[in-house]
Amino acid sequence: MFRNNYDGDTVTFSPTGRLFQVEYAMEAIKQGSITIGLRSKKHVVLVALKRNADKLSSYQKKLIKCDSHLGLSLAGLAPDARILANYIKQQASYNDMVYGKKINLNKLGELLALKAQKTTQTYSGRPYGVGLLLAGKDNLGVHLLEFQPTGNVIELYGASIGARSQGGKTYLENEMENYLEVESLDELINHGVNALKQTLKDESLDISNLSIGVVGEDIDFTILEGKNVEKYL
Amino acid sequence: MNHDPYSWGRPSDSMYGEYNREIANAPTSMEQHTSSSNFNEHTTRPIVTGTSVVAIKYKTGVVIAADNLASYGSLLRFQGVERLHKVGKTTVVGISGDISDMQYLVKVLDQLSMDNNYDNDEYSDNVDELQPSYIFEYLSNLMYHRRSKMNPLWNALVVSGVDSKTGEPFLQYVNLLGVKYASPSIATGFGAHLAVPLLRRLADSEEQAAELTLEEAKKGIRDSMRVLFYRDTRSSKNYSLAIIDKDAGITYDNNVDVEDMSWKFAKDIKGYGTQKV
Amino acid sequence: MTSVGTGYDLSNSVFSPDGRNFQVEYASKAVENGSTTVGLKCKDGVVFGVEKIITNKLLVPGKNRKIQTIERHIGCCYSGLIPDGKHLVNRGREEAINFKNTYGKPISVSAMSERLSQYVQAYTLYNSVRPFGISTIFGGVLKNENGGNDKPELFMLDPNGSCWGYKGIATGKGRQTAKAELEKLITSEIYDLSAFTARQAVQEVARILYLAHEDNKDKDFELELSWCSLSETDGLHKFVPKDIYEEAIEHAKIEVGLADSDDSDEDEDMEPEAEE
Repeated sequence: MFRNNYDGDTVTFSPTGRLFQVEYAMEAIKQGSITIGLRSKKHVVLVALKRNADKLSSYQKKLIKCDSHLGLSLAGLAPDARILANYIKQQASYNDMVYGKKINLNKLGELLALKAQKTTQTYSGRPYGVGLLLAGKDNLGVHLLEFQPTGNVIELYGASIGARSQGGKTYLENEMENYLEVESLDELINHGVNALKQTLKDESLDISNLSIGVVGEDIDFTILEGKNVEKYL
Repeated sequence: MNHDPYSWGRPSDSMYGEYNREIANAPTSMEQHTSSSNFNEHTTRPIVTGTSVVAIKYKTGVVIAADNLASYGSLLRFQGVERLHKVGKTTVVGISGDISDMQYLVKVLDQLSMDNNYDNDEYSDNVDELQPSYIFEYLSNLMYHRRSKMNPLWNALVVSGVDSKTGEPFLQYVNLLGVKYASPSIATGFGAHLAVPLLRRLADSEEQAAELTLEEAKKGIRDSMRVLFYRDTRSSKNYSLAIIDKDAGITYDNNVDVEDMSWKFAKDIKGYGTQKV
Repeated sequence: MTSVGTGYDLSNSVFSPDGRNFQVEYASKAVENGSTTVGLKCKDGVVFGVEKIITNKLLVPGKNRKIQTIERHIGCCYSGLIPDGKHLVNRGREEAINFKNTYGKPISVSAMSERLSQYVQAYTLYNSVRPFGISTIFGGVLKNENGGNDKPELFMLDPNGSCWGYKGIATGKGRQTAKAELEKLITSEIYDLSAFTARQAVQEVARILYLAHEDNKDKDFELELSWCSLSETDGLHKFVPKDIYEEAIEHAKIEVGLADSDDSDEDEDMEPEAEE
């Protein structure tokens, strides 16, 4: 029987130069429920589909606020995301305290990349099993970043990660010209919710399973849940 | 005055009586070096020093000046020492006090601007530039941190510049105690006594500073430097002058001389040097 | 592959009976499909170029820079696993700070090359780590007044830790085409290190990257160009300014025959001068 000898840890290259353990970590994102991020010139919106373990349980949080100007949504292992969110919070508050400045998103991306890369080059530990979408603003405007367990951090106009994320990505690609030019925040949120709807199979969106995060030049990072998302359904 | 460096900054015995060491049970720093003791002593006095830095805001920027002298006690030890330092594109930090601590600070500031430039595309329209406020915040944290470790950097710093995004002039002060403040005009050292009154005559409030022209501000600084050279024995005739303007950027002249002086009165002063009274 | 199944290729730091370290060789494989990366020396500096394949339509154009700055006067680009590159650049920056604190002047490019190659080599020694999956091209020029010698230097560092100086070098997917073009250029009359300017080098690097992209034609790409030159950037590593960048791209398109205005063919065939 075929057995892959090269996928046992992150310190073994396959003969073709691949790192299977890291690729498997990328798969963990797809096990998580979907989250989508998109931006216009003035705003960034994150939308996410929350899951619950059973009917009586609460829903797993999908969005985390990290600073007044910065927050994230996650797909994959939520505990891993909390570790990373904690790190982001530390870095953000360090910047605030030492320089009196909100952290630069690009700089934050570089820091996360370095942190994640370490786990892919050493035997101890494992790569992070989570993908993040970071939404925030800094001196250079608004930004949407995607973080991957590989240590890749990229800046995008739209991103879709998690289970059945392809439908959302296709929507984002086709509609890019439209939502990029959108002036109003509500309209951008509607685009986000529409993209999310493309990915649903059995479930439907309601006020209990939809989370929305927004940030823009005129608004700090804010999470909308429950009643507050009703008008976007 | 007692010219022994170990007595600098201590209350004079003639005025206050000899210090009773029994009270604090502390050895002098001289004894410190010879006897083993159970506590650490860090810097207790500056050694080679730079004197005043003076600065004033005007309509669209800041003018700042400091002379180019480093004194060793009352000896005018080094000339041509630069005490105004450019950091980033729109900030000048003026440093008075201990020169070796200043040299350390210059290294720190160099690394600060290097850190800011990493992965910060310099040619795009959108650069997240180092602003005077960031530099000041960093320096004031550093100064307070060091004094809290009882190991201060023996300096008084003046951070001057303009915010490259808003064009707002910036002027703030922090010293070895971590004390900080902002004002339309700032001077360190002797300048705090001799130059500030002159500068406040030009701009006593932010509103007045916002009306001040560059020429008026420059004249104020030149006058201050002249008065300081007259009266501060640790100052030099040669000084540096920097103008940070929101439109013109930094203009920097490191070879200005104090002008329009008259020393005619000098021959009438008695009681100094080798002359007979 | 003969190595597969022997068991000697499963762990880093292990030699096979014929004296090979397979994990390091596999790391090089990660480089071979990376983005094409070129470095070229000119009379008073170096020029870097990277081909960035647009893998995702949603990427923000002009962002996600691949070329990085190690020190004010040292630029760096790499091909292979991008996060590994960021790790190495970060180490380079630490080395630069360290050097400055110890010796009170900026590190020379060659001293940097020694420190970085030692670091990369160390990652081939232990089974608790894996080698770097990148080939790194870095270089620059350290001004005389900063303790340098005004001479440009350019190096390429491989996953095994070996590091060589070059006049021009390429790595990544299109390296064969790019290296052939570099050889043609460097052996030609145009390339005279006492006269070949940074602007010329920018044009050549852009042209070479466009040529190397030919095998990959169906994919869109963005070019990134940076330089470090005494005359153009005062010895600082910077991205090539917009006007010069666009001129180089224009020129490259004409040379490769992609431009709409087809007035090319001036010196299409640069005969390699037999200069030996």
